[in-house]
Amino acid sequence: MARGENQESQTGNVPAASAAAGPKPASSAAGKGAEGQSVVRRLQSELMALMMGGDPGVSAFPDGDNIFNWVGTIAGSAGTAYEGTSYRLALAFTAEYPYKPPKVRFDTPCFHPNVDTHGNICLDILQDKWSSAYDVRTILLSIQSLLGEPNNDSPLNTQAAALWANQEEFRKMVEKLYKPAA
Amino acid sequence: MGHSDAASPASAAAARDAKKKRGNRTAAKLKQSKLETRREQWLSGQGKDGKETKVAALPTGAGSNAGSPILASPHPPLPRRRADTRSRGSDPEDREEAAAATLEVGGSDLDSPMHSPVSDKSQGGGCAQRKGFSGNGGGPSLSSGSSVWSSSRSVSDAEEDHTGCPEDESEVLDDWEAAADALYDDDSHCHQSSVPTTPPPAPTNAAPANAARPEPIRSKARAWAPDDIFRPQSLPSISKQASFPASIGNCWAGMGMSAAQQGILSLPLSCPICYEDLDPTDSSFLPCPCGFHLCLFCHNRILEADGRCPGCRKQYNTVPAAEGGGGPRATMIGREMANIAPVRLSRSCSMGPRY
Repeated sequence: MARGENQESQTGNVPAASAAAGPKPASSAAGKGAEGQSVVRRLQSELMALMMGGDPGVSAFPDGDNIFNWVGTIAGSAGTAYEGTSYRLALAFTAEYPYKPPKVRFDTPCFHPNVDTHGNICLDILQDKWSSAYDVRTILLSIQSLLGEPNNDSPLNTQAAALWANQEEFRKMVEKLYKPAA
Repeated sequence: MGHSDAASPASAAAARDAKKKRGNRTAAKLKQSKLETRREQWLSGQGKDGKETKVAALPTGAGSNAGSPILASPHPPLPRRRADTRSRGSDPEDREEAAAATLEVGGSDLDSPMHSPVSDKSQGGGCAQRKGFSGNGGGPSLSSGSSVWSSSRSVSDAEEDHTGCPEDESEVLDDWEAAADALYDDDSHCHQSSVPTTPPPAPTNAAPANAARPEPIRSKARAWAPDDIFRPQSLPSISKQASFPASIGNCWAGMGMSAAQQGILSLPLSCPICYEDLDPTDSSFLPCPCGFHLCLFCHNRILEADGRCPGCRKQYNTVPAAEGGGGPRATMIGREMANIAPVRLSRSCSMGPRY
């Protein structure tokens, strides 16, 4: 799974495990035969569950015909600086999903201490704290809650981390940089 | 069971309420007239008036039994034994009554089956008892009457009885239907008597969907309820499809609730990792004390990688003693899964500042 993302990670000091790679490696990994089949099966089950589950504020759907690439949407929780906003994310699954986490990044620019300007997310469960018991739904819910509860001790966006203490100013920055998807 | 047994529930229930329903059964009426003739013969000889008049008040019940005594008479001891066996399981009062009747007069035994269901009617045990007593009608007429508690309870009684009266077939067939109808009536009228035949639902089951409609399951379909603890494992799991959105849709956060509700069936039906069905081996496979279930394939797969339990993130091999652990842990799934609910995991990783 680590292949294909290394050339991307040289753009910054982000470790190889971060979600810097974009959707490319998933499609190449999709052709792995029987293993890919079980991944497809699981993703289809998750999709069905997501469509029937009706979780408020999170949704996801495959991007085009490739079920290994999904587009997720999360709404900013009420009572946070992100209230009223809606962010699109790209999820790229590999043939090793769910044993390995998908690569997740923000499509919509997001001003957040743990999200860099490329949309990469620093979230433990997407890296070393991943468990194969997670799924798309729990990922999106985790990111949604991350919006309101950033980890300012290890920021990807130091400006956002510094501004977090002043929620009014922070809210202004969020709105200023918010470019909702068409 | 022999044919005379088959007829017996009919006699019991018909005596009560199915009389009018079976009005068109001419065969039964024929038998009844036969019986009456016979009874008159006995009456003249015995003079047991009190009981005989009672019998006269139960025409249909008597009728359905009437064929048996005549035809079963070639084998007097066998039906007798069977009747005794049944009496043991039933109320002592009635047993005595039946025994007394048999001892008193060989011929007037015939009224004991007719008599006892009437006195028996108020009791919950219902079907089985009535069956036993009306079984008496089968053939006590010529019995010696010395050993009421005959010890031989061979199951082959019924068979022998059967071969003894093959010409009984057509008439009894009628009675089978009557018996079935009567049993059904019984079920719908007093559920108590149907309880022994249908296992009760699991006490832990609090699912409202099931509680809302216990009746159809019990009285009509007679299929295994999905939450029935006696349900054979080999049956296909319909409940899985029924609960699909719940088990997968709400996935882990919802697991705690559904586990509590479903009680004994709290085990996941499919592997939470690959979503494949769990076979019995997988279901009993508990590699981690946290109780997280997964299939063997996924377990191997994880062992090849980091080897941590997806449920609690502990290393599998650090707790080898717990492998194959017992059932109580299974109930902890919900809690464990709740612990890794996404809300609590929103910790970002540590990374150097870039800006």
